[in-house]
Amino acid sequence: MTAGEVLKSFTQILRDLLGDDSIVLSPSTRRIDVSGWDSFNYVNFVVAVEMKFGVKFGVAEVESFQTVGEIVQRTLALLQASPR
Amino acid sequence: MLFNSYQFILGFLPVTLAIFYIFGRFSRTSALRWLIFASLVFYAWWRLLNVAIILPSILINFLLAQRLQRLGVDESNRRASKLTLIAGIAFNVAFLGYFKYTNFLAGAINDAFGTHFILTHIILPLGISFITFQKIAFLIDVHGKRIEPFTFGDYALFVLFFPQLIAGPIVHYREVMPQFRRASCRFNGTDMCVGLTMFFFGLFKKVFLADGIAPFVSPIYERAAHGDPVSVLPALMGAVGFTLQIYFDFSGYSDMAIGIARLFGVRLPLNFDSPLKASSIIDYWLRWHITLTRFLTAYIYNPLLLWLTRRRLARGRPALGGRNVTFGAFLNLLALPTILTMFISGLWHGAGYTFIIWGLLHGVFLSINHGWRLLKAKLRPAQAKHDQSGGIAGFVLTFAIVSIAMVFFRAPTLKGASVILAGMVGVHGIGLPASIFEHLGPLANLLQRTRVGRETWWSAVNFAWLTAWTSLALGIALLCPNSSQLLAHYEPALGVRPTDQEQRGAFARLAWSPSLKWALAVAAVAAAAILRFGGPSEFLYWQF
Repeated sequence: MTAGEVLKSFTQILRDLLGDDSIVLSPSTRRIDVSGWDSFNYVNFVVAVEMKFGVKFGVAEVESFQTVGEIVQRTLALLQASPR
Repeated sequence: MLFNSYQFILGFLPVTLAIFYIFGRFSRTSALRWLIFASLVFYAWWRLLNVAIILPSILINFLLAQRLQRLGVDESNRRASKLTLIAGIAFNVAFLGYFKYTNFLAGAINDAFGTHFILTHIILPLGISFITFQKIAFLIDVHGKRIEPFTFGDYALFVLFFPQLIAGPIVHYREVMPQFRRASCRFNGTDMCVGLTMFFFGLFKKVFLADGIAPFVSPIYERAAHGDPVSVLPALMGAVGFTLQIYFDFSGYSDMAIGIARLFGVRLPLNFDSPLKASSIIDYWLRWHITLTRFLTAYIYNPLLLWLTRRRLARGRPALGGRNVTFGAFLNLLALPTILTMFISGLWHGAGYTFIIWGLLHGVFLSINHGWRLLKAKLRPAQAKHDQSGGIAGFVLTFAIVSIAMVFFRAPTLKGASVILAGMVGVHGIGLPASIFEHLGPLANLLQRTRVGRETWWSAVNFAWLTAWTSLALGIALLCPNSSQLLAHYEPALGVRPTDQEQRGAFARLAWSPSLKWALAVAAVAAAAILRFGGPSEFLYWQF
């Protein structure tokens, strides 16, 4: 799976979560860039990603992610470490 | 050795600082080692045994942290790393639990089952609650790979650094250690001025304001503790008076800690940001004991929320999204982790039912506040985003519930707290000090007919002093800029910079500068505080 595919999948997850089809994520997107992406929806998003890709982030990681790109990279790394 | 003692101000601090600067001329390492040694002396001053208790715990924590650091290098060790972390947390919690909660637990079991476990006299090592939290945070940070390689000296300095040793601010390793590594360990004029100013502001808050109010608040709580009725006026004034007392006591202590650290060239994180001005309870907790709030959020609330959300989504139940909030999601993902976190906070403060209730109350307050925000966002999505402030009504409500909860914090027993609370809502009637009646003439009869009672235990002088102190303290807490706002241009605490508001108008005119005008003002404040020295006056938070 490529970074682009993961990003596309992330965009769909967040669109479903916030009910807003105009959302387009890029690697540099931050939470404050997206209207309605509050701390609860951030946790929801992270858990939805975990379920979709079958990975699990550490608590410290979840707190340290600054951009969507960082979550994409970490997801790819976790997928490589334990292929489904 | 208290910060507000001659021993400390005229003896320990200047000597420690002078030798620190002298060593600093030769090498940073020797200056920092001296700082560790001085911190041990500071801690041993109360009881030598304190050191005998804390040193083994530091050593064990260091060894566990080293092991975590080694295991962290290789992803395949994740399981072993996790087990080590759990063992480390368990050790620290058990360590704290033994000293702090053994008697409370035994007493609670005795209460509940009529058993007769004998309560032993266990001496609480000073500051153990703070030290333990800091150590746990460090282990979690090493496990989360947020810490660069460290030596025993680094770790000991981080834990023992005496300004923050007894009662915080609760610092992260990653925010102080880089400062120690860069520190010049030499005299620096700006650091000296900023540090001394913060220290004396804090000393004034503690010795002048908090200790000024305290003797007039205590008789009210003492009476309540005996179960004797307290009428509306003393009950209300006792609650508000204590809220101000603890604010100036603890924020004063924090300013002093921040100021002392700055003398050594180190900035500690901000601990108080005028919390009594808050316009909502969420806002209050972002401004009161800030370093505890961020500890609880990062190490208890967030992991709990993540775990609960995973569990809930795995079962296909709705989560707490912005648009489709269900009551079940609110209870499970907001109220539950919030109340549980504040319960732990209450228990951490003190081993007693009153502290637990204080924590639970704040958990419920916070949940209601969050629920209200979610509801507003649902009903009026466009407006809610911009309008997070509660306005005047929010301020009054916040101040009231904070003061009510503080009754549990101050009262030694549940019985005492309930007497004060009953008094506040008028169960024990309205009363004025009896001696005031004698000076009222015909008005006294009128008051008597409107059933205003005479409080024979409460002297008019006490009433007058409490009114005066409370008014002064309230005025300063609500109308004046706080110490870090005054010094904002000199980054008095980590990351504190002047906000846009503070760069204009009255704030700008009041901004501190290293000038003769401010030197005189600070000297006056310091003199006002030092002239009131006398008698033991411990910090409220040093008991935890």
